[in-house]
Amino acid sequence: MDKDEKTWLGVLIAIFIVFNIVTLSPLVPWQKWMLWSDQTPDERIAVEFQDYEIRLPAEGVEVKTGELVEFVATSNDVTYGLGVFRKGGTMVFQMQVVPGHENKITWKFDEPGLYDIRSTEYSGPRSPEMFVEDAIQVVP
Amino acid sequence: MKKIGWMEKWTLRFAVVGLIFLAMSGFEGILMRTQLAAPDALNGMETALNAIRPLDHEPTKAELFYGMMTAHPIVGIYGFVYMLVMGAFYFLVPYLLKKEIRHKKLVPVNFWLHVSGVMICWLSGFFGIFNAMYTLYWPLPVYFDRVPLIPTITFIIGAAIVMVNILLFSYNMFSTVLSKSNPRSYSFGQFLRAAFGISRLMKWLGKEDENAPDLDYNGLPVFIVAVGRGSIDTVINAIVLLVAGVLILVYGVAALFGSPLDPSAVDALVYKNWFWWGLDMVADGNALMYTAGVWYLLIPLLTGRELVGRSVVKTVIMVDLLVSMGVWSHHLLGDQVQPLFMRILSGQLITWGEFFTMGLTIFASLMTIWKARPVKMTPALRFILGSIFGFAMGGVAGLIQANVGLNMVFHNTQWVVALRAHTFLLTGVGMMLFGVVYALLPMLTELELRSKRLVDVHFWGWIVGSVVMAYVMGMAGSQGMLRRMLYPHPNPYTPYTVIAMGSGILMAVGFLAFLVNVVTTLGWTNALSLVVPERWLERKAETVAA
Repeated sequence: MDKDEKTWLGVLIAIFIVFNIVTLSPLVPWQKWMLWSDQTPDERIAVEFQDYEIRLPAEGVEVKTGELVEFVATSNDVTYGLGVFRKGGTMVFQMQVVPGHENKITWKFDEPGLYDIRSTEYSGPRSPEMFVEDAIQVVP
Repeated sequence: MKKIGWMEKWTLRFAVVGLIFLAMSGFEGILMRTQLAAPDALNGMETALNAIRPLDHEPTKAELFYGMMTAHPIVGIYGFVYMLVMGAFYFLVPYLLKKEIRHKKLVPVNFWLHVSGVMICWLSGFFGIFNAMYTLYWPLPVYFDRVPLIPTITFIIGAAIVMVNILLFSYNMFSTVLSKSNPRSYSFGQFLRAAFGISRLMKWLGKEDENAPDLDYNGLPVFIVAVGRGSIDTVINAIVLLVAGVLILVYGVAALFGSPLDPSAVDALVYKNWFWWGLDMVADGNALMYTAGVWYLLIPLLTGRELVGRSVVKTVIMVDLLVSMGVWSHHLLGDQVQPLFMRILSGQLITWGEFFTMGLTIFASLMTIWKARPVKMTPALRFILGSIFGFAMGGVAGLIQANVGLNMVFHNTQWVVALRAHTFLLTGVGMMLFGVVYALLPMLTELELRSKRLVDVHFWGWIVGSVVMAYVMGMAGSQGMLRRMLYPHPNPYTPYTVIAMGSGILMAVGFLAFLVNVVTTLGWTNALSLVVPERWLERKAETVAA
């Protein structure tokens, strides 16, 4: 390996270290509770997927800003996705809902408002129907 | 023009059919974007096609969209990319090793099996509305109330033909490289040891086995090393997909005979790990190694300068092979049930191994061109530079999404499929393959390209079209637009889709310029001789002369 190659390899190693340290650190907001905290969730919300339907708790989903919420999603047939979206369409977070497993994700909402839920994984031709408008209400 | 030889003719046939598959795949892409941007625009075509579709019901727009989407990557990857790779390697491997292909009879067998397999898959999706996507996430492909039964079986048979054919092709490659017609021959075991760097590792540990041939030391061209090592991934990919196909086929046949099996007997997460481990070998294994090999071959040929870092690049390819075995979890970063250490280690950190291997490959390639200045910017070299740009752009997008933190908002969005996958395939692999065609055409035919202006149209149409398309759809993904989602119309992503359609049309213009240039360079008679038996053309010529 000549000097130029060693220098270039050094640049690549530096990018690798910096990028991975930053993105695994609490600088990415959700890494604070996903990787760097063992905090018990304040609330637990069960979401069930079956036959192209997203079944939320009958009483609705209302959470407070700053509260740690655990979503527990199960599927009784195929793989789906639990995706939470802002009203403008941008994604807040998502996870895959694998059948035969309890799929858990914790989240902390920082902005009050209404959020939609959409299945983010293709589950058959009727997948686009899997949309629940105003599924989550976040209150201050 | 010299008379085109037997192998050269087959190489050109693979190329011609591969390019037809590219056109089909591109046409499907434009149809899908049209359906997203203006859902009723295709009504007339759909009505006409539905009249000949062998279905027991009128398919919904969503069924048509997803059937097409399932066929699209099979035609694009296994039709276009694999056909061109097979054709090019069937010419280049014997050419560089100065010996004949070991099993010549397998060449036409490979050609016809591949065309048949891809077409069966395409028909199952486009006409049969098989819609489980190429990812075939368990248990969707065996839920026959969502995915039609008979087209599932035919799709799997088509895919199995393609995979068996890839194994036959790889066998022919390995057997040509390893055949004992020259002093540098290897047993298969020796080849594998060398490919994985075992003998080098033993030497490093102070236990050198002097009888162990090592591809790094035995002077084989670096392109052959890349083909050999990349083909290991190709074989694994084909075997894994074959196993998944057999599983789906068993469920399909059982359902066909009225004894459906329980899908929950197979764990969806274990299946997903197995499937992605194998499927990822195409994207992160052989595609990268084959591409690196082609750059290492063509850049010194086109610039007339020895490759910079020759001693390092074979090790880079070996590391890439090892890395490709451990990166599959970046497809499971959205699966919270995948163990966290697997997501961080395999999904994120090992995936960065490709940053190093591709980073060093790009460095060696660009430094070679830089040190060879002044270089003649031939069509092939321009397209190779374009493909390097494509891999750099797609690679950065890939590393951003292959991240435990950032994947939370990128997984399954258009970012993944556009900015990463399509940049890799269209700008990276596509331009590399066009570069190979531009480089091989004079070697195979001793003809110079007819029009430099058409090369310009091809180059700019393709690179601007593919980059803009990937960029705008990537931005749509960053705004939350999902892949595989037939949004109701209108939706906030329509402007992005319309720009992407325009970019696709620009690529099509570039592609047409390329076809016109190649056909007029070859001449109609030579072009026809690739698809029509020569005796027909000779008879016609005699008739005209008479």
